[in-house]
Amino acid sequence: MINWIPGTYCSELLTVSLFRPGMGEFKVHRVRFFNYIPSGIRCVAYNNQSNRLAVSRTDGTVEIYNLSANYFQEKFFPGHESRSTEALCWAEGQRLFSAGLNGEIIEYDLQALNIKYAVDAFGGPIWSMTASPSGSQLLVGCEDGSVKLFQITPEKIEFERNFDRQKSRILSLSWHPSGTHIAAGSIDYISVFDVKSGSAIHKMMVDRQYMGVSKRKCIVWGVAFLSDGTVISVDSAGKVQFWDSATGTLAKSHLIANADVQSIAVAEQEDSFVVGTAEGTVFHFQLVPVASSSTEKQWVRTKPFQHHTHDVRTVAHSPTALISGGTDTHLVIRPLMEKVEVKNYDAALRKITFPHRRLISCSKKRQLLLFQFAHHLELWRLGSTVATGKNGDTLPLSKNAEHLLHLKTKGPENIICSCISPCGSWIACSTASRFFLYRLTYQHDNLSLKRVSKMPAFLRSAVQILFSEDSAKLFVASNQGSLHVGQLLEGRFRHLHTFQPQSGTVEAMCLLAVSPDGDWLAASGTSAGVHVYSVKHLKVFEYSIPGKQYTEWSRTVQKQGFHHLWLQRDTPITHISFHPKRPMHILLHDAYMFCIIDKSLPLPNDKTLLYNPLPPKSESDVVRRRTAHAFKISKIYKPLLFMDLLDEGTLVAVERPLDDIIAQLPPPIKKKKFGT
Amino acid sequence: MVQLRPRPSRTPASAEAMVDEGQPASEEEEAEHGLLLGQPSSGAAAEPLEDEEADEESDDEAPEELTFASAQAEAREEERRVRESARRDKVLLKEKRRRREELFVEQKKRKLLPDAVLQQLAAAPQTSQNKSYVALRLKDQELRDSRQQAARAFIHESLYGPGTNRTSVNKFLSLDNKRLPVKKAAAQFLNSAWGTQKKQNAKRYKRRWMIRKMKTPKK
Repeated sequence: MINWIPGTYCSELLTVSLFRPGMGEFKVHRVRFFNYIPSGIRCVAYNNQSNRLAVSRTDGTVEIYNLSANYFQEKFFPGHESRSTEALCWAEGQRLFSAGLNGEIIEYDLQALNIKYAVDAFGGPIWSMTASPSGSQLLVGCEDGSVKLFQITPEKIEFERNFDRQKSRILSLSWHPSGTHIAAGSIDYISVFDVKSGSAIHKMMVDRQYMGVSKRKCIVWGVAFLSDGTVISVDSAGKVQFWDSATGTLAKSHLIANADVQSIAVAEQEDSFVVGTAEGTVFHFQLVPVASSSTEKQWVRTKPFQHHTHDVRTVAHSPTALISGGTDTHLVIRPLMEKVEVKNYDAALRKITFPHRRLISCSKKRQLLLFQFAHHLELWRLGSTVATGKNGDTLPLSKNAEHLLHLKTKGPENIICSCISPCGSWIACSTASRFFLYRLTYQHDNLSLKRVSKMPAFLRSAVQILFSEDSAKLFVASNQGSLHVGQLLEGRFRHLHTFQPQSGTVEAMCLLAVSPDGDWLAASGTSAGVHVYSVKHLKVFEYSIPGKQYTEWSRTVQKQGFHHLWLQRDTPITHISFHPKRPMHILLHDAYMFCIIDKSLPLPNDKTLLYNPLPPKSESDVVRRRTAHAFKISKIYKPLLFMDLLDEGTLVAVERPLDDIIAQLPPPIKKKKFGT
Repeated sequence: MVQLRPRPSRTPASAEAMVDEGQPASEEEEAEHGLLLGQPSSGAAAEPLEDEEADEESDDEAPEELTFASAQAEAREEERRVRESARRDKVLLKEKRRRREELFVEQKKRKLLPDAVLQQLAAAPQTSQNKSYVALRLKDQELRDSRQQAARAFIHESLYGPGTNRTSVNKFLSLDNKRLPVKKAAAQFLNSAWGTQKKQNAKRYKRRWMIRKMKTPKK
């Protein structure tokens, strides 16, 4: 569906300022009208064997982060309107399952990056799911109060049996490490089941309020079963309670917050656990000896962390870090100082807010930007100016930025990737089941759009789309690992060639880049290998072009190593572009800085200052030459979602201030401060 | 206003009210009157009317004695009659319902496809993996949707419903500003959504005024 908004003028900031990074003057378009709001995080699941974290969001997207590779988001599954995951868990053999309010259990194929299958549990909406300690069984808690046991077979999952049905919905589940008992948290009570018989042994009633009476029902948001038989429960009254499952009685109760405590995760050694509250606070509980000499231990609340503003709906505990995520869309990874071995930059707090994928593409010829949202695309034309100025000036706009097109996709699926051609005449986007290609024609000030029909079916579920520099060819990387090349001629698409995945493995290509002359295409897969394809001869090469070896420059870099601060950046580089007329310059950026690498200048070693703004003019030329090095970094524009070179003297930087995101989030819990 | 059918019991009452004299017009009317009162003209019930008539003529005499047995018998008769009529009514209603039910079944049967086709459809597999469509039973989907809706409502109510202590994002972010040594304004001080219609009208008027100004030649 197409919504025309011709001639709408944005009221957002679009300033043009002069910038001199030590290698020429640039006019920079600072764009702030990309109204991007990430979805809130709903569940996280940590996998110990592979050190990977699976994160599911409220729009149904599931992302996989590799915690050993600098927390890079290596895989993701696009969202779907009908899928709202309420539970996520790993099972044996690196298999990932999720369950949601549509009543289905979904298994994800981590190699092919698609959904393997969905099985209906026939219990209504599913609220919770947990895998057995052995990893071969799956337990789900449903809306109708039933707890269902499934057996995990190599191909699928099979329903085994139902446990005793309870009166209200089962909101949380936890398996005893030996696999014999299960704790299920519901509304106002917790049940303990015996796995073999499936019957409920105990029903432990939870107080609605800590030592008081309340009208609101007490929802047990999370339970955890320890090996000594203790069940830890967290509920909506703000309590953390310890129960003895053998007798079914309450052992200890802590009131830790005025709002709901919504999540709990226990470490594997069972000596510490973490809980998240609706106020955004994360509490760390540890098992400490009662007195310094005694062997008796007790659970003590040790550290509070306030890294979130909104509800912390999910937490996870890895051997060295506490992971939390919630409605404020940040993923926070807090390494625990006592568990970290080497105290370097790795032990610092990590807050992942911005996507690791590119959501913006740019048409250089017509100065257009294409923004990708979950269900629609927006096309904007940049503003222009005729004024000039010196370094640091903000130039007045003679023509404001225009919102040209609002393109909605049909269907419940999220858009995976999109791209606009450099000439501005083609827009392509892909969802999990369809591929859309549109042809744009410009007549004076009018824009008309036409959809190219009869696109081949194998193009769907593309992970990356790229147009060649002359806009004559289209490259599509599918999630099956193959790379499709097509020709765009006279408003039609013609399939030219498909590069099949290498060495028999099915691996989706994540990143694509094409050379300016259109002869070479580079693609990197999830296992971090780089493949180079020759488009002219339709052959595959390794490493780089054309001498079939790493270039001299990169060899030098490898030998000398990067500056230590460069390696300590915590956001990945999202975009790299090259200057067409200056082959010595490489422009790249991550969320907090952008950098122009000048290959002709010497590389910085660890002793030189990496972040080196323009030295004062008073210094002599000699000094300047000595301190100048190849990496010209600027931190003026942040947080950066996209940065690219439009032409010789113009840059475009799309910024997304955090305050603009926070302003559009759901309401947080009220905080009472003295004196207000 | 509901128009009530003139009921038999009413006319005698109104007639009586209209008559000024105590004496009824004629004996025949009296007899009719008694009958209209809804008492079946059996011997036992006729007695009190005769009594009434007799009363009119001889006020001095004591009323006739009613034995217990006769009164009891009379009451039993009444009951039996009422029961009989109720049973008859019930039977009639049942018949009517049964006939209607049969009629509906007939009509439904006529609407459905022939048995053979139905059996074939039931035997066929529910969905096909290869085809590009999925066949769903609408009844199942509605049930599923309504349950999902109820679940979402539950979550929303327990997190954001009444009784939860929620505030707006603006107030939340402005709390720090209030405690600063130099108090600052709220994070979102201006409400850009205020008066949108007024602003639009003003914009339009301004555009029109400028066009008019351009048209009129400068003096």
